[in-house]
Amino acid sequence: MTSLRRPWLFFGPAALIAGGLDVALTLTSNHEENPALATSLGLFVSWSFVVAGLIGWSRRPGNHTGMLMVAVGFGVLVGGLTEANYSLPYTLGGLFGSLFIAAFVHLLLVYPGGSLISRYAFWLVGAAYATAFFAPLFDLMFASRHTCKPHDCPDNLLLVSRDHGANVAQTAFWTAVAVLVLAAAFKLLVGRWHRATPALRRILRPVYLAGALSLLLLSVGFIVTPFSGVGNVVVEIALIATFTAVPFLFLTGLLGTTLARTAGMRAIFREIPERATAGEVEEGLREALRDPTAKVAYWYDEGGHYVDVEGNRFELPPDTRRRVVTRLEYADAPVAAIVHDAALREEPELLETITGAARIALERDKLLVEVRARAERYRALLQAMPDLMFRITRNGAYLSYNAPNPQDLYWHDVVGLTVWDRLPPELADRIIEAGRAAIDRGTPEVIEYTLSFDGETRHYEGRFAPSGDHEFLMIVREITERKRQQEEVEASRARILAAGDEARRKLERNLHDGAQQRLVSVSLSLRLAQNHLRDDPGEAEKLLEGSRHELAQALEELRELARGIHPAVLTDRGLEAALDALAARAPLPVEIVGPDCQLPPAIEAAAYYVVSESLANVTKYAHASSVKVRVACSNGNALVEVADDGIGGADPLRGSGLRGLADRVASLSGKLAVESPRGAGTRVRAQIPLK
Amino acid sequence: MAETMDMTVLIVDDHPSFRASARTLLEAEGYEVVGEAENGIAALAAVRRLHPDLVLLDVQLPDLDGFQVAARLGKLADPPAIVLTSSRDGADYGRCIKESGARGFVPKADLSGAAIAALLVA
Repeated sequence: MTSLRRPWLFFGPAALIAGGLDVALTLTSNHEENPALATSLGLFVSWSFVVAGLIGWSRRPGNHTGMLMVAVGFGVLVGGLTEANYSLPYTLGGLFGSLFIAAFVHLLLVYPGGSLISRYAFWLVGAAYATAFFAPLFDLMFASRHTCKPHDCPDNLLLVSRDHGANVAQTAFWTAVAVLVLAAAFKLLVGRWHRATPALRRILRPVYLAGALSLLLLSVGFIVTPFSGVGNVVVEIALIATFTAVPFLFLTGLLGTTLARTAGMRAIFREIPERATAGEVEEGLREALRDPTAKVAYWYDEGGHYVDVEGNRFELPPDTRRRVVTRLEYADAPVAAIVHDAALREEPELLETITGAARIALERDKLLVEVRARAERYRALLQAMPDLMFRITRNGAYLSYNAPNPQDLYWHDVVGLTVWDRLPPELADRIIEAGRAAIDRGTPEVIEYTLSFDGETRHYEGRFAPSGDHEFLMIVREITERKRQQEEVEASRARILAAGDEARRKLERNLHDGAQQRLVSVSLSLRLAQNHLRDDPGEAEKLLEGSRHELAQALEELRELARGIHPAVLTDRGLEAALDALAARAPLPVEIVGPDCQLPPAIEAAAYYVVSESLANVTKYAHASSVKVRVACSNGNALVEVADDGIGGADPLRGSGLRGLADRVASLSGKLAVESPRGAGTRVRAQIPLK
Repeated sequence: MAETMDMTVLIVDDHPSFRASARTLLEAEGYEVVGEAENGIAALAAVRRLHPDLVLLDVQLPDLDGFQVAARLGKLADPPAIVLTSSRDGADYGRCIKESGARGFVPKADLSGAAIAALLVA
């Protein structure tokens, strides 16, 4: 593990030793035509990969790219064993000397993330390693006759046959396989390039260019190797150039990240000035991250969500292969989030450095954006209000206004005028008085007023709130309907009072004209009887008999009156019994359904009088043959319905009976409806809320 | 009592039962009931026609009330004596009775020839 954590400690010396061994083998080789060139090239190529790989490995230990570069470098060194004059190293060099090509393919396919991102790539890398092992194996087993100059190669320990035909066949086969594998890898790289985002392309560009060219040249090399000539040499030189370029370009990429970090820091401090707007901060970050599509979102504490630079609500998108979110926090609390190209994750140092530097600016901007979000919310709130709104100076000049429905404006010109220009002088004075009071006291003021508008009087409520040292906000709401309802309620109350007075007057008159007169008569008759008691007992008896009859009549009249004041049966035995009593007294059949629930006393009384008055009306006017009464509870309401099969055509406003009923029902917040189509009976329906 | 004997009386009340009872009672006590009227207008006409000595006048009448009738009768050249009556208590009418020009007030339940005579001699 130590070697993995500190790859230099092991692989640095190992590369030096292996390189030294290669140099020794090459310089002493009796079958190397150009030992100096081979030594220089071998060391240059291998150590380039090893050094670049170790730098990458150290910088990003979790990324396998550096490790694979080291592997390619050592693979190249293994190939140097073929320079040995001894059979075993020579054979081993031949057998394992091509594995670096597979490692190279592997390297290209994991770059830059460090791991294979598809199953196809996994199988392709497997095929590359298999080919890099088996192709040399078969080449050693069925080797050609003369492969080394100036001396023969050392003994090939794996040789099976030097049959020319077998050699040609296996060479053709493995060349085809190798070319296919390389072509597939090339195609994969091209595909990924096409799909890459601009930021990813920026990272891929140098390594892919050299790597893909190397794959192409390797393929060509495999094909032309059997046919030695100028072309072969050209290909080899080009291949060495592109192949060797890969570690340098890789290093350039790493260095580029470092430079980008510095440039990014500079960009942040240059692009994000002290008094930058949130939009400028976003632009600065885009510049620094070299991602023109990056978006900044600020955490909005009050709303518990993110907002964009305009202060609008912003939902963070889920991470995808192309776009990811980096959240910035301070003291475990969210500050902001940057939605950016996923490729920037391949440059973590860049991202970390830049976001770290930007965090301070973002923390500051978060407050500004919060204010903007709040202002946005208030603006939305104000716009959603159906009321008229005016900003007016202390001196009565209109500054601005908001009229969701311009038809509501009393006078369509507003800004530039004064309240005295637009409104009746008395009202204008009241408005200014209320507005100044709101400014001076710092508390809202409310006035109510009327305006003649389109030939009708409309009622308004004006609310005044200070909106600055010298201006106030006037919010106007039309309350005509509310006033109408209020007046209706007051009228209803007055009618209830009048009805009560009228009922008492009627009661007094009934008592006076009825029972009282009878009692007076009884009193007079008793006095007469008393006078006749001795001289004319027969007359006295007659008078007493008359008095008894009068008393019985008076009693009956008193009972009737008492029933009119409040039905005793309702108090004593409840609504059901009281309705039964009403039905029994009615001169036509009455069917009663319900009540199906217990009603509060006030509603019971109202229900009783609705049925009583309706039955009286049926008897008087409806010419009905039957009546159906229903009392029920439904959805928190008591429903009372009296329906007859009479002639209909009843006028709900006729007489005081129904109006009195409507008032009684309204006093309990209920409604009374009368449906009476001509010829189709009358239906009186009261609906009274139970609470 | 002798002063009231043969005194002619007009009974003005809208309730026939009271008129009948009052007639019986007063006649039994020596008054001569010369007529009855059921409202104020009829009462004024009856007084002009019958010239009664006394009008027993109910306060509550369907057209003119008893006080209005009393006021009009008071303007006649030879006005009859007027005694107001009602099933209500006299106190219910406050000063109206005193200011009406009537001799006094007898509650209907206390009506008797003696009660009327007491008012007439007072």
